[in-house]
Amino acid sequence: MSIILAVVRRTLSTIVTLFGVSVIIFVVLRLLPGNAVTESLGVSEGLLTKAQIAALNHYYGVGQPLLQQYWSWLHSLLTGNLGVSLVSREPVSTLIGTALPVTLELAFFAMLIGVIIGIGFGMWSALHPGRWQDDIGQGISVVGLAIPSFILGTVLVVFMSSHFHYFPSSLPFVGVFTNPWLNFQQIIFPALVLSLGIAAAILRTTRAAVLEISGLNFARTALGKGVSRQAFVWRHLFFNALTAVTTMSGIQLGYLLGGTVIIEQIFILPGLGRLLITSINDRDFPVVQSVVLIFAAGFVIVNMLVDVFYTLIDPRTRKR
Amino acid sequence: MSLDTTGLPLPTPSIDTGEIVVRHGGWVRAVWRSRNGRIGMIIVGLVLIGGICGLANFTPYAPDAQNPQTVLKGVSFAHLMGTDQFGRDVFSGALQGLGVSLEIAFLAVVIAGAIGSLGGIVAGFFGKWTSATIMRATDMMFAIPTVLFALAIVTALGPSIIDSAIAIGVGWVPIYVRVVRSPVLALRESDFVRAGRVLGYSRARLLFRHILPNVTGVIAVQTSLALAWAILAEASLSFLGLGPPPPTQSLGEMVSNASSIASIAWWALAGPSLVIVIAVIGFNFLGDGLRDASDPRTRTR
Repeated sequence: MSIILAVVRRTLSTIVTLFGVSVIIFVVLRLLPGNAVTESLGVSEGLLTKAQIAALNHYYGVGQPLLQQYWSWLHSLLTGNLGVSLVSREPVSTLIGTALPVTLELAFFAMLIGVIIGIGFGMWSALHPGRWQDDIGQGISVVGLAIPSFILGTVLVVFMSSHFHYFPSSLPFVGVFTNPWLNFQQIIFPALVLSLGIAAAILRTTRAAVLEISGLNFARTALGKGVSRQAFVWRHLFFNALTAVTTMSGIQLGYLLGGTVIIEQIFILPGLGRLLITSINDRDFPVVQSVVLIFAAGFVIVNMLVDVFYTLIDPRTRKR
Repeated sequence: MSLDTTGLPLPTPSIDTGEIVVRHGGWVRAVWRSRNGRIGMIIVGLVLIGGICGLANFTPYAPDAQNPQTVLKGVSFAHLMGTDQFGRDVFSGALQGLGVSLEIAFLAVVIAGAIGSLGGIVAGFFGKWTSATIMRATDMMFAIPTVLFALAIVTALGPSIIDSAIAIGVGWVPIYVRVVRSPVLALRESDFVRAGRVLGYSRARLLFRHILPNVTGVIAVQTSLALAWAILAEASLSFLGLGPPPPTQSLGEMVSNASSIASIAWWALAGPSLVIVIAVIGFNFLGDGLRDASDPRTRTR
């Protein structure tokens, strides 16, 4: 019962957070200088009559008072209508519908690789503190945190294009259902580049958590009563470190979503990040605000699931 | 060890004075004592000198001087990082870019640090409602990934040095709030703050004379890490073409421009990349050193 209550409370607070996020995005983007509507038509404001401007503003819904604009935006969001792009005149939902799967796939593979490398090397270095295995782990975490993904991505593209004649722009992106093998080849390198930073952060967290737990009394007791090494490592150390590692992975998702913007630009993947940069350059703010909101919603919802996940695996978090 | 969290005189005066020397006289010495802090201080020192030279136009060549005689020359003593396709010296450009990056990063961190620390102190010290409101607001800001937040703000304000700084700084505010709030919560219930309250000190005096000095360590650590992040964020924004407008060169833009010629002139890509990585590593190490110096638990190791 208390579990259900905790989940319901967490869901409600997530909804409140999302509502606030939508207000922040809306306010920030209304600070836009210049009139995006006239800019999108390629004419200066002076060339239009007052009536024409009024008609345009009405069409795009930007001439009204702020509160009313926000209200109509929120209303159409909830009914699934994200508006129309000022540039391509296509519905924003169509643009996002084609871009979202690419970003999801990229984020999924990057997270998967990051978690595997991070937990694997983190456990490995924590089980051999101060030895060469630990040095390798520390090396990965320093390199992963210090080398920005855009440098690593650029270097990788340059290297592959000069040695293997691979160019990100040579083939248009294909979906996973059209040609899975080609799709895998196109997604794996950007995913690897993105995963390094995540792997470094997860590695540090795993190492610190496992080291702390292995110093606790119950761990010594377990070793003393003769638990097998395998059971000790996985059941006693790993399972207890899991909460810290899951939290870190949830937080890293924010980094990951920001990173997809840059990586998609370098590897020319038609995902949400590339859509965002294009629409920022075009001042196409119906698209910008929807894309930022989707990124934020993804982050908030995943972190909610992380919290719910610990309520299920860790009885200590259920008390309150 | 249990340094002024109780405010009571410690039983052994010798330890007391020793600790006070570390706290008030020798931050630099305390940071220098940890290995990471030493590495960090040296690197950050070099980075600062380089950045100031870049800002003061004290570079081997004019950063934007094109020279047809020196197109795509490799690394040599005359050109430490080679030259690009216009014959511009990459090292001079990187110094200028570093200067601009540091300027934006410092401005951003001043904005984030001032708003965030104040928010954190207020959220920790004042009552339930104030605290809940501030924390809710930071949750909402935290939900938008920082780079995306910066992108959205740069879109709104347009690219310039101060606007980039605002864009990057605002994204880091919630992190300062969270990091500063928790020690303030603990300090509020500590004996010396209660004693001050009983003595009738004003809230402002308690906040600025009693609580603020005890969270400076946390703020210093966070500031160093924030600088590392701000340099990265600035480089990312200018890599995406949203940095300060030309003729100002920035490191991210140099990386982006170099990608097209890097297969014949690797140095044009390696130079600015190396400068970014070194600066980021330096501030991260300095942050680790500051943490070692301000946290007695790790200091003894």
